[in-house]
Amino acid sequence: MRASGAWVALSAAVWLAALVAIPFLGVEVIRPADLLGGDPTAAVVFWQLRLPRVLLGLLAGGALAISGAGLQTLFRNPLAEPYTLGVASGAALGAVVAQQFAPPSAELAIPVVFVAAFAGAAAVTLFLLMLARGRFGFETATLLLAGIAITLSCSAVILLLQYLADFTRTFRMVRWMMGGLAVVGYREVIWAAPWVLAGGAVLFSQRWTLNQLLAGEELASSRGVDLRRLRLWVLGVTSAMVGALVAVTGPIGFVGLIVPHILRRVTGHDHGYLLPACLLGGGAFLAFSDLAARVVMAPAELPVGVLTALLGGPFFLWLLIARRS
Amino acid sequence: MRGAEPALLRLAGAGWSAGGRSILGPIDLEVGRGECLVVVGPNGAGKTTLLRLVSGLLEPAPGAIFWQHTRLAALGRRQLARRIAYVPQLRPSRIPLSVAQLVLLGRYPHMARFQLAPGRSDFAAVGRALRRVGLEALRDRPVDQLSGGERQSVFIAAALAQEAELLVLDEPTTHLDPSHQREIARLIRSFNRDLGRTVLAATHDLNFASLIADRVVALRAGEILACEPPASAMRPELLERLFDAPFEIVRGGARPMTMLELADP
Repeated sequence: MRASGAWVALSAAVWLAALVAIPFLGVEVIRPADLLGGDPTAAVVFWQLRLPRVLLGLLAGGALAISGAGLQTLFRNPLAEPYTLGVASGAALGAVVAQQFAPPSAELAIPVVFVAAFAGAAAVTLFLLMLARGRFGFETATLLLAGIAITLSCSAVILLLQYLADFTRTFRMVRWMMGGLAVVGYREVIWAAPWVLAGGAVLFSQRWTLNQLLAGEELASSRGVDLRRLRLWVLGVTSAMVGALVAVTGPIGFVGLIVPHILRRVTGHDHGYLLPACLLGGGAFLAFSDLAARVVMAPAELPVGVLTALLGGPFFLWLLIARRS
Repeated sequence: MRGAEPALLRLAGAGWSAGGRSILGPIDLEVGRGECLVVVGPNGAGKTTLLRLVSGLLEPAPGAIFWQHTRLAALGRRQLARRIAYVPQLRPSRIPLSVAQLVLLGRYPHMARFQLAPGRSDFAAVGRALRRVGLEALRDRPVDQLSGGERQSVFIAAALAQEAELLVLDEPTTHLDPSHQREIARLIRSFNRDLGRTVLAATHDLNFASLIADRVVALRAGEILACEPPASAMRPELLERLFDAPFEIVRGGARPMTMLELADP
């Protein structure tokens, strides 16, 4: 348990390092002297472009990772996360529908996109719950197949909407669907922060209850765990967080799969350690991934969602294969 | 029956049905404080349903279950869990926790909802429970690396850490070799006799029941055929009615031992 605490502390250190170091780094490295010396370009790049981008990455990565950790315990399935369960796709479809019906020139207000994205995420979540209540239960294969089916269906509808949309909108949608953190200023950060912090606090408050699930639902409920309430809380909170983030960053996949899986190996399954480690480690992971995405194809910038998907796809396959043996 | 003191637990016409088919009862049954009651019966007799009703996992319909004077349904989930600890038979095949972590889970009903970390009393209870089942040496071992007998002991330790008055055990010795069966029987007896706590267990192992029970409840197709001390419950005609198979008594006395008879009588 002492070791678990040390890993949480290490996650915090990496998180801080990401926050402090990454805004200086990129194709153009900003030296602290430039910033202090009052170089106006450096100041704009640092304060208006890079720092908000890092902050958004820290928030989004942390939220995706704790959502993944919570869903994995709830469904007793190490492959569950917002992306593989189709929750993120539902949110994306909601957001695309909202953008489709907006006037082509105007940028939609974040809360409008959020409500649509949240509705999409919540609809998928409710569908999964209904499926689990039926005769299938929380069976691994059924759940993942349902997630794939939901993702494919949502993608099909999104493609249809893109086909019907005009050129400007199509470009915006395609770009947004790749998932990225390219923001200017703090509007998106200020929007996302309360959702992530509140969601993290709620999940953390459920850590003992989530631990109970590790010994099985029968024992958990005999010890006083209200399973229905726990499911509603976890699913509600993850839908809200994913909806809020998808509305500003687009869907970013596999962070919720990779990060909890790796951290569980070092901190153990106790949610008192796992959830804080995921919030910090997931944030740092996405922030550093975004740094890599910015420089790897310089001068072009890769959307970070493309990079995490490139990493996550093989990782997911490896997990599937390794679990069999 | 036991003077003025009400039964610790009382089932009053309690039953349960699923899909229009009656699984259990309605039955009447009283469990006295400090008693060791063992339910025996064939597969599908309703033993597990009875234990799940008593543990509050199912709500009886029709009828009611009382903890002393209070209906179980009127007690909060945590209040109930501080009185009744359940050791189910079916559990996840993989549990990614250490022995001490799993036993600590039993402290859940004693922890405040927003408690920051388990307290000193929680760790003390875990230590006591592990000592009682003799697994202190394995406290940091992953549960998945234990033998079947050790695993069962750990789950019983978790129930002991719950510090409940009534311990409910479902098939505690199934799949265990004789030496581990003996270990579990001794554990249950010491919990019952030394600590004075109440035990309700279900098994289809007649000899195990005879070894530990104060009274044996014979349950068949959801109905109680008899509820008597082992000495009188272990009689061939009752056992044959219970299991549809002939038995012979190979040793009599207060705790009779029985054996299946292969030849037709």
